[in-house]
Amino acid sequence: MAVKSTMSNQQKLVQAFCDALGVSSQTVNDELQYNTIREWDSTGHMVLVSELETVFNVMLDTDDIIDMSSVAKAKTILAKYGVSL
Amino acid sequence: MAFPYSGSILQGHSVLVTGATGGIGRAIVSNLAQSGATVFAGGRNKVALDSLVEEVAGKVVPVDYDVTDENAVKEVFRTIQARQSDPDVGNFVGLVNNAGEMKEAGLVASNMELLRLQMSVNFYAAYQHMQLASRLMVRHRKGAIVNVVSQIGEQGGAGLSAYSASKAALTGATKSLAKELAPFGIRVNAVAPGFISTPMTAHYTQLQRDDVYSRVALKQSGTPQQVADAVLFLLDQCAGYTTGHVLPVDGLFQA
Ligand SMILES: NC(=O)c1ccc[n+]([C@@H]2O[C@H](COP(=O)([O-])OP(=O)(O)OC[C@H]3O[C@@H](n4cnc5c(N)ncnc54)[C@H](OP(=O)(O)O)[C@@H]3O)[C@@H](O)[C@H]2O)c1
Repeated sequence: MAVKSTMSNQQKLVQAFCDALGVSSQTVNDELQYNTIREWDSTGHMVLVSELETVFNVMLDTDDIIDMSSVAKAKTILAKYGVSL
Repeated sequence: MAFPYSGSILQGHSVLVTGATGGIGRAIVSNLAQSGATVFAGGRNKVALDSLVEEVAGKVVPVDYDVTDENAVKEVFRTIQARQSDPDVGNFVGLVNNAGEMKEAGLVASNMELLRLQMSVNFYAAYQHMQLASRLMVRHRKGAIVNVVSQIGEQGGAGLSAYSASKAALTGATKSLAKELAPFGIRVNAVAPGFISTPMTAHYTQLQRDDVYSRVALKQSGTPQQVADAVLFLLDQCAGYTTGHVLPVDGLFQA
């Protein structure tokens, strides 16, 4: 795990996906979608939500959790919570 | 139970107990605080919460909110999320859904408001708490949830259809979530008290009590402490291989 305090929000986001889903940073791009890789299934999604909430110190609404269907979408949603990416 | 006993995963960690100012809630808070946990004690009565903090030895953090207020519940979990990095508080590893309302009314005299109240406090609120608590626990792949259900929910009781339905709903969610959350290292269990002497049952006359005791094999009421000991057992690592279980604390009660 990288040292998070010196990372940009973009780097933290990628790292959160890597840590939560157990994938490499090359896999994490805007186009990556829920349920298109084995690691990002409903179980992975739960871990991902928990990871993003901890890393960015936010608590997501259920509708946003359901809506978070891609990396790009995750960025848009986090922006609503004041996370600039 | 003797405290602190070795191997308690609660030591240095935090837990949330709802209905902390009630008869059973106070005993649960006291047990958990003595086992070394930081206890977020939830209740609506600030004065009662403050006296609880004064009375209980250990770390108790009062949280003044109504469990049916969805925004207030989110706020409580935001607070816990923010505070768990404080070494004095520690990772959030336990939730006890204990707040409850019991309104007796036969079907003919019941109304939708009473049904909604009991469903809201006993089930919907407990469900939202489990949803938010599990998200904090997933991060550490560790946690335990204990729901305080009821023998009335397990067996039914005349004049208590709304209450029993709300508790049976929570039993169902307990069993399903035990399966769903197991991959994340989160156990979900319940305790099902029978007749316990608390403010909730204080209005029972001696005649009514005798009628209840005649249906209890052990012929007496239970104590809040006995329920709290069962909660502590299920929360802690001594029940590390137990999930989806409903533990009766009822003297073998037949409703
Ligand atoms: N006593 C029994 O024989 C028995 C048997 C089976 C199951 N149970 C269950 O055990 C649990 C504890 O009951 P108890 O006997 O200790 O009853 P109690 O003394 O009446 O305590 C109930 C607690 O729930 C809290 N509560 C109720 N509605 C709430 C709300 N909307 N928001 C926040 N807190 C709320 C109460 O707070 P306020 O003081 O603010 O109202 C109180 O602290 C309940 O779930 C009950 O159904 C009890």
